[in-house]
Amino acid sequence: MNEFVEQFLIECRELVEQGTHDLLALEERPGDRERLDGAFRAFHTLKGAAGIVDFEAMATALHAAEDVLSAARAGSVAVTPGLIGDCLSCLDQVVQWLDAMEVTGEPPPDAATAAAALVQRFGRAPAVQEAPAAQEAPSGDLGVVAAELLGAQLALLDDTSSEPSAGRTGSALKVAANVLRHAGRETDAVRLEEMLARPEALPHPRAAAAAIAGVLSGRLELAEGPSPAHRETAEPVARGLRIDIERVDALVNLTAELTVAKNALAHAAARARAGEDVAGLLRDQHAVLDRLVGELQAAVLNIRVLPMRQVFQRFPRLVREMVVSLGKPAHLLTDGEGVEADKAIVEALFEPLLHVIRNAVDHGIEDPAAREAAGKPPGATVRLSAARHGEHVIIEVADDGRGIDVERVRQKALEQGVAAPEALAAMSPAEVVELIFAPGFSTAAQVTGLSGRGVGMDAVRTAVERLGGRVDVASRAGEGTTVRFTLPFTVMMSRVMTVESAGQMFGIPLEAIVETIRLPGEAVSGIGAARAFVLRDRTLPLIDLAQLLGEGEASDLTAEITVVVVSAAGQLGGLRVDRLGERMDVMLKPMEGLLAGAFGMAGTTLMGDGRVLIVLDLQELLQ
Amino acid sequence: MAFKILIVDDSKLARMAVAKVLNTLRPEWARVEATDAAEAMALIRQNDIDITLLDFNMPGRDGLELAADLKMIRPEMPVAVISANVQREVVTRAGEAGAAFLPKPLTESALAAFLDEAEQRVGKA
Repeated sequence: MNEFVEQFLIECRELVEQGTHDLLALEERPGDRERLDGAFRAFHTLKGAAGIVDFEAMATALHAAEDVLSAARAGSVAVTPGLIGDCLSCLDQVVQWLDAMEVTGEPPPDAATAAAALVQRFGRAPAVQEAPAAQEAPSGDLGVVAAELLGAQLALLDDTSSEPSAGRTGSALKVAANVLRHAGRETDAVRLEEMLARPEALPHPRAAAAAIAGVLSGRLELAEGPSPAHRETAEPVARGLRIDIERVDALVNLTAELTVAKNALAHAAARARAGEDVAGLLRDQHAVLDRLVGELQAAVLNIRVLPMRQVFQRFPRLVREMVVSLGKPAHLLTDGEGVEADKAIVEALFEPLLHVIRNAVDHGIEDPAAREAAGKPPGATVRLSAARHGEHVIIEVADDGRGIDVERVRQKALEQGVAAPEALAAMSPAEVVELIFAPGFSTAAQVTGLSGRGVGMDAVRTAVERLGGRVDVASRAGEGTTVRFTLPFTVMMSRVMTVESAGQMFGIPLEAIVETIRLPGEAVSGIGAARAFVLRDRTLPLIDLAQLLGEGEASDLTAEITVVVVSAAGQLGGLRVDRLGERMDVMLKPMEGLLAGAFGMAGTTLMGDGRVLIVLDLQELLQ
Repeated sequence: MAFKILIVDDSKLARMAVAKVLNTLRPEWARVEATDAAEAMALIRQNDIDITLLDFNMPGRDGLELAADLKMIRPEMPVAVISANVQREVVTRAGEAGAAFLPKPLTESALAAFLDEAEQRVGKA
C-alpha cells in the first residue's frame, strides 16, 4: 500500500470520528455554530483527502454532503434530524469504503453506485424541511440499525461453536420479530412469530436463520446503496495490515542486536573449544538473548495491532438510531479510541459490543419520566471506553440507568430453572447478576423493544471467551450497570504447562489449570463409557488425553494416576496425563489448513528441540 | 537559486500531496511544514521563509486570516491560498490579502505557474 493511501486511511478515520461527534452534538444543540463549522470542516477535509488519492466517488458523495452543510451554515437550510441522519449515513458509507481500502489498498470499484445514492439523498435534503421527527425508517427500508440487529441474530444462529439450543433460536427469532415490528414490517414480524408459536416445535437454527436472512435480503432490493448486511457477506477477511514505520525500525534494530548476540556466542564456542571454562560467559549471553527474544516477541506482536477506533467509531451513529427508535434520549461517550489491541480482537469486538450497548440503551436506561423522578438528567449517558492495563485491554460499557434488578433476575432464574432454589437463595447479589450470562437466560417480562435484558449475554460471553477474555458485570440499583470485557492485548502469547501422554507432549494453558493431583486408580468410577472422579465432594469428568486424541489405549486404572484439574468456561474437569512437564511462554500458532477444525486443539507452537507442541482447547474438550 | 518554502495545512496527507508536486517541480528547494496558523507564524518569525503555501480550511485561524497577517509582517513574501472550494468569495478575499489562489487538489501546472511568478518576485526583492 502506498504511503498516500496509508495516510489517507489514518486521517479519514480521525475525520469521521470528529465529524460524527460534531454532528451528534449539533443534533442536541442545532444552533451550535462551532459544531456546525466543525462538521463542515470534517466533510470538507474528507473531500480533499479523497481528491488526493483519486477516489472520485467518495469526493462526489462528500461534496454533496458539504453543500448541504454549507447551506446550513448560510442559514438557508435548517439543521434537522433528517439532515444529520443523512450526513451520518454518508460518514458510515465512508467507513465502509475505508474498511475496503484497508484490505485492497485501492478505492473500491463499486463505490460509484453508493455515492450516487448518497448524492440523490442530499439532493432532496434541502427541500425536505420536515419537523424534527423520526423519519429515519420509511416502511420499505429497514434502516441500518435494524439491519445490524438482524445481522447480529443471524450471527447468533450461525454460531457453530456450541450446541444449537432452543432458547437461543427462540430468543433470536423473538428479537428479530421485535426489530421488524419497530421498523413497521408487521407482516415479516408475524411470519417470524409464527415460527415461535409452538415452543415444543421450534425450527432448526438454520431454518430460523434462513427466515431472517430472507427478510434481510428483501431489504437489499429495497434499500438504496449497500447495507451493512450486504457488507458482512461481502467483507473479505483483511489480510493486509498497515504498519507504522517505527515498528518496522524496532524490528530492524532488534535483528541487529540479535546478530551481535550470535557473534558473542560464536566467540564463547571458540573459547570452549580451546578448553576454557565458559559457563559464566554462556550465562551472560543467555541473559542477553533472553532479553532480546522477549523484545522481539513484543515487537512482532506490536505489528498486529489496531486501534479501538476501528470498532468504536460505528457506535455513536448506531446509538443515535436506537435512541430514535426507542424514544429514550441518550448519548454515547467514547473514550480510549487510540488504545490498541491485536487485530483479531479488535475485529471481533463489534458484535458483542453491539449486544451490550443495545441492552444498555433498551433496558439499562429508564424512560425520561422515571429518570426525572429519580433525580437524574432526562438524557442518559452510555460510556464506551477502552484502556490498557499491562498485558490486558479493558473495554467497558457503562450506563447510568436503573441497574440490574437482582430480585427479578433471581425470580426469572428460578422460573427458568437456571439454578436450584436453595442455591439461588444462597447467592450474593453479585452472583445472581452473573446469571444473566447463563445460556438462554432472559428476564422476558422486560422485553419491550429491540431486545430483552439477557438476550445474547451468553453469546457475548462466548464471543469474549473465544478471544481469551472474560466478561464481568457490575450493577448498582438506581445508579447503572457496567459491563466490562477483560481481553488479552494479544491473542498469540500463552503461558502453558506441558504434559506428556502416550509419548506425545501437550500444552495446557496455565490460566486454566486449577491444580495437579495424584489419584489412586480406584478413585475413578465409570459412568457409562465416561469416567469420573470425586474431588472435594464434587464429581468431575475425567478425560484421558491419550485416548481422547486417539493416541493410545484406555489406560490401566489400577495404579496411581496423575490428573491435571482444569477449568474452562465455568466447567471443571480432570485430564489424565502420564507425566507433568514444565511451564513455558509460547507463541501460539492457530491451527491451519486441514487441522483448522481439529477437535480439542487450540494451536501449535514449536519447542526448543524442534518438536511441535499441541496446545489444548479446554473449552472444547470439556464440553 | 534554491528557496525555502513553507507548507501550512492541518492534514498531513495534503502536505504530502503538495510536497510530492514540489518535489517534481523544485526538487532542490528546502521545505518546512506547519499544521496551523500559530505554528506557521512562529516558523516565519524564526526562519528565512521565502514562499508560503496555505490551506484555506484549518481549525483556528483559517488560511485567509493567516494570509492577511502575513501581508502585515512580510508584505514582500509570495503567498498562495489553496482551497478545494473555488468560491468567488474565497478567491476575492485571497486577492485582497495579496495572495494567489490555487484550487485543490493541487495540480502540477497550477503550482508551476505560481512558483514561476513567485520566483521572479523573490529574485528581484
